Amino acid sequence: MSRVQKGDMAAYRELVGHYQAKVFRVIRSFHRTPEDAMEVVQDTFLKLFVARDTWEHRTSFCAWLYRIAINASIDRYRRSDKGMTTSLEDMLEGQVEASAVCRRPEDPLEQVSATERRRILEDAIGRLPARQREVISLRYFGEMQLEEIAQVLRCPLGTVKSNLHKAVIGLKGILFGQREALGYE
Amino acid sequence: MSECKSIRDLLVLHFEGELGDEEDRSVTAHLSTCAACRAEAEDIRTVRGWLSDPGLFAPRNDYGWQMLPEALAARARAERKFWLPLSYGSAGWALSIAATLVIGFGLIYWAGSRADRPVAPTAVMAPVAASGNAAFLGRMYAAHARAATSEYLAACQDLLVDTLRAERNCDERKYDVSAEVTRARDLLHRKRLLDPELGAPEVARAKELCDELEGFLLNLSLSEKCESRDKLLRMEHYVRKQQLLLRIRVLQGEL
Repeated sequence: MSRVQKGDMAAYRELVGHYQAKVFRVIRSFHRTPEDAMEVVQDTFLKLFVARDTWEHRTSFCAWLYRIAINASIDRYRRSDKGMTTSLEDMLEGQVEASAVCRRPEDPLEQVSATERRRILEDAIGRLPARQREVISLRYFGEMQLEEIAQVLRCPLGTVKSNLHKAVIGLKGILFGQREALGYE
Repeated sequence: MSECKSIRDLLVLHFEGELGDEEDRSVTAHLSTCAACRAEAEDIRTVRGWLSDPGLFAPRNDYGWQMLPEALAARARAERKFWLPLSYGSAGWALSIAATLVIGFGLIYWAGSRADRPVAPTAVMAPVAASGNAAFLGRMYAAHARAATSEYLAACQDLLVDTLRAERNCDERKYDVSAEVTRARDLLHRKRLLDPELGAPEVARAKELCDELEGFLLNLSLSEKCESRDKLLRMEHYVRKQQLLLRIRVLQGEL
C-alpha cells in the first residue's frame, strides 16, 4: 500500500489482484446479482486509489478497505434505488426458537452436492438482517478479527459478538430447517 | 436447564476463541457432561465449517475478472488527472482554490456586464418561437443520437470481428493485434465524446451495451502488440458468452 500511495501503478495492480476476490465475497451478499457486486468491487478499488493518501499505516488496511467497500455498496443502493435483499428477521426468530428444541439433525446439507449447498447457504446469508450479514461476511469471507470488524462497522466489540452469535444461530435454524425442503425427514 | 441456556449462548464465541479462560473452561466442562449441548455445539461447528467453504460467494473466474487489475489501473491512471489534488499537498489545494475563485469572479463579472446591455429585439420573440422549436429540436437530437450510436456500434462490431480473426503472425506463435489495439483506443475516445448522446432516452438500451463494450475495449487497448492465442481465445470466449455481436446487430435494428 505504501507503494500505491506513491502512485506506483504496478503495485496498485498487484493490490487489486490480491484483494479483489475477498472484497467481492464480502459484499456479494448485499447485492442481488454478481454483476452488481462486480461493479461495487470496481468502485471500491477506484475509491481506494483516489483516497490512498488518507490511509494511515497505524490502522488496519483491511478494515479501511472493507469500510470503503461497504460504503460503495450503500452508495450503489442509493443510486440504483434497489431494495436490500429481504430481511427475514421475524421468521428467523421463530426458526431460532424451533432449532433450540429440535434434536440433532442428520447433517442435511452434507447430503446434497457442494454446489447446491453453497446456493442454499448463500440464499440463507442473503436473508439475514443487514448487520448480522455484515458481521458474517467480514468474519468468514474477509477473514477479519472481531476487533477489526468493530472498527469497520464502527460499533462496540460486544455488538459484533452478539451479532455473530445471532447470525450463526440464525443460519443454523434456516439451514437445518432446509431438511424438509430437501426431502429429508 | 438454565445452565444449558447460558452455555449455549457462549458456544459460537467458544469456537471463535473469543471467550476468557474461565468461561472457556466452564463451556468445555459442561459439554463433557451434557449430550444435548454437545449436539448443539456440533451443529454450530458444522455451520461454521460450511461458512469456511472458499467456494461460497466466489466470483466467476472469467476473462473480465482476470483483467480487472489491469482495467482498474488504466481507469485510475486516466481519472487521476481530473480528480482533486489529494496527493499534491497544501500547495495543490491552494492553487485549486485560487483558480476556482478567479474563475468564479470572472463569471460574475461577465454576467454583470451582459446584464447592462439593452435587450435585443429577437430575445423578446424567443419565448413565442421556443415552444414550436423545442419539439423539432428534440426530434433532431434524438435522430442524431440514434445515428451516432448506430455508427459507433458498427465500428465496435467491425473491431470485434477483426480482433477475433487476427491472423497476422508475430514471432513465437503470437498474433499481431497492434492495429486493433490502436482502433480500440480510438473507440474509447469516441465513446467519451458519444456519452452525452447516450444520455438520450431513445438510446437507453444501447447505452448499456456501449458501457459493456467499453470494458472489452479497455482490455483490448491494454494488450501487447503481439498477443498469445490463449488471450485471443479468452477474448473470443467473452464475446461469445456475452453475445456481444448478436446484441449489437439486434440494437442496430432497433436504432
